[in-house]
Amino acid sequence: MGFIEVNDVVKRYSGHTALDHVSLNVPQGSIYGLLGPNGAGKTSLIRIINQITDPDEGTVSIGGRPMRRDDVARIGYLPEERGLYKKMNVGDEIVYLARLKGMSKGDAIMAMLDWLERFDLSEWRDKKVEALSKGMQQKVQFIATVIHRPELLIFDEPFSGFDPVNADQLKAEILRLRDQGSTILFSTHNMESVEAICEEISLINHSKVVLQGRVDDIRRNHKKNVIAVSVDRGQRVEADPSLFTVLPAEAGRRDTLVRLNEGVTVREAIACLNERYTLTGFTEVLPSMHEIFVETVKQEV
Amino acid sequence: MEKLKLIIVREYMAIVGKKSFIVMTLLMPFLIVLVGLIPIAIEYFNRSGSEQLTVAVVDNSGQYGGAIADDELYHFVPLTGADAADPRACYDKADGKIEAVVVIPADVDSVPQVTVYSENTIAVSLKSHITRQLSDTITARRIAAYGVPGMAEMVNKATANVDLKSVRWSADGSEEETSTEIALAIGLILAFVTYMFVLSYGAMIMNGVIEEKTNRIVEVVVSSCKPFQLMMGKIIGVGLVGLTQFAVWVVILIIVAMVGGSMAADSVDPSTMAAAEVANLPGGADAVVEVADGDAMSRVMTGIMGVNYVQILVAFVLYFIGGYLLYASLFAGFGSAVDQASDASQFTLPVVILMVIALYAGMGCIENPSGPMAFWCSMIPFTSPVVMMVRLPYDVPMWELALSVAILFGTAIAITWLAARIYRTGILRYGKKFGFKDIFLWIKG
Repeated sequence: MGFIEVNDVVKRYSGHTALDHVSLNVPQGSIYGLLGPNGAGKTSLIRIINQITDPDEGTVSIGGRPMRRDDVARIGYLPEERGLYKKMNVGDEIVYLARLKGMSKGDAIMAMLDWLERFDLSEWRDKKVEALSKGMQQKVQFIATVIHRPELLIFDEPFSGFDPVNADQLKAEILRLRDQGSTILFSTHNMESVEAICEEISLINHSKVVLQGRVDDIRRNHKKNVIAVSVDRGQRVEADPSLFTVLPAEAGRRDTLVRLNEGVTVREAIACLNERYTLTGFTEVLPSMHEIFVETVKQEV
Repeated sequence: MEKLKLIIVREYMAIVGKKSFIVMTLLMPFLIVLVGLIPIAIEYFNRSGSEQLTVAVVDNSGQYGGAIADDELYHFVPLTGADAADPRACYDKADGKIEAVVVIPADVDSVPQVTVYSENTIAVSLKSHITRQLSDTITARRIAAYGVPGMAEMVNKATANVDLKSVRWSADGSEEETSTEIALAIGLILAFVTYMFVLSYGAMIMNGVIEEKTNRIVEVVVSSCKPFQLMMGKIIGVGLVGLTQFAVWVVILIIVAMVGGSMAADSVDPSTMAAAEVANLPGGADAVVEVADGDAMSRVMTGIMGVNYVQILVAFVLYFIGGYLLYASLFAGFGSAVDQASDASQFTLPVVILMVIALYAGMGCIENPSGPMAFWCSMIPFTSPVVMMVRLPYDVPMWELALSVAILFGTAIAITWLAARIYRTGILRYGKKFGFKDIFLWIKG
């Protein structure tokens, strides 16, 4: 049973359906990816989980029971479009947003000081938000998202706007929060980060879930029977009409990609290659999430 | 409730904490006084700055050539001989040195009409100066023409200046001296204050809503609280700022009045003493005038005292809250439908027009504060907060007040409900320009 369960949710806006019978199941303590092209319905789903809007049909449950209004205190939300009150002091702003989530004033102040310290922002506490650089504002927003120790964290494109150093720090913080027991719902276009940190995903396209499951399983299911073979210098792998074809050389790859014909096992192909060439290595090639994403979305069209 | 309180405090502090707000609040009363002084200053500079103008007088009657005395603005010279025969030539010859030519006809005694010629438009002050001086002289001459000794004095004594004092009969049988002018002034000031506050604080709300929407903080906030709480928190917070500002102004007013009052008392005391002494001396007429002035002064004071301030204050606060709620929620609802302030005019224009109509209706009701127009405009909730202010000093029947307040609050709550429905959808919609049709759909669903 998942921590967050979305059951058959439908959301219609005047003229179009934003979510069409969407179900998903986010296991406790996991990092769950919510993928999909722009306008697919991700934000609509996130808003429903956040209780900003209500679904027209279907239910959302948290920890095994239907979500209630006061459950918003258990959720932290970092929207894609970042926003803070520009004229407020950094410290006041964090404390205000924390208290809106139900923290007491004292706890909020303690946690704020702690987090500013962690992100090297202590000296900015009494400065107006508008005086901060964009990267620093992003950090302030991140702090405001996680300060009330939410059980569920929803990050919409968390890495956009961060430079690589800060992005790494952020990633480390996200993993740390996961290790401390938070469940993380992660909406993104960045497929590399999906492969790196998500355990499960749902791909939404045109308001429907078109692909769902564990990242490893999905990649395995989408494998195209391609193996990468390395042979001795000077040798060149040629296609064998009965067993495999050779894919065009890719820039930057020193090995050769070979696609097996229908019904041919890896074992048969390797046996053949091993006989003909001096084989120095071979690996099965799994498609990247990027490829799967593009392929799935294009198929839909 | 806890969240609403948090939002109210934040909205309140966000404005009150600003230096510009503090400075404006403290300076505003003085600025208003300054603006009030501008016409007086202009008048002063007009008089002191300009040179005395020469006006030629052609006196065909032979009686009144010297009747028009000079003042600080005009110097009168009689024309004689050839000049008098052809004043136009003389005027042209003077090449602008003569401002105008006054021609007094020979039969001015029987037909009291004179003509002023000039290439320029004649100043009002010149016209009134000439007519006043000539009227006085001709009147005096006519009186003298009767040949009755001491008649001028008799006429002077016989001339009555009627002074009107109005007394209101209260229901309890007591009598109370009222001053229409004072009532009028108080009513107009209250109406104007309501108008200004509702409009400027309404605009403040709208800008706040738009700002939250454009910098996307709204999405974070409504993931913590209900959109309705955010909207009401803003409306209440900003409204409290308005009341704070008003309270500060009242305090400043009271302080100024007390300081001014004690200063006036200091300066008046010795002079009335002196006046009393002078009255015992021959030629103490001036002193009598001063005492009369003091009487008028006390009349104004009783006029000010005669107004039922408790009723006015209670009604003002009620209408202020109702009117503010009504218009502020309209502004909040419409503000949520736009991405930037510049797109808001299609929605704000009708609202502003309503407010302006209310102000004009209020001024129109001065003529007849108990008439049908005043009655209906003080029942319609969009105009009543302003119009009722004008009527308040004239004892509005209790049932009218109660009905009007009930209608106002009923409508304000209904509008707030509608605005909340617009708001909760509008704040999350971006990228498109929405019109009244979209807003209607949001209200429906």
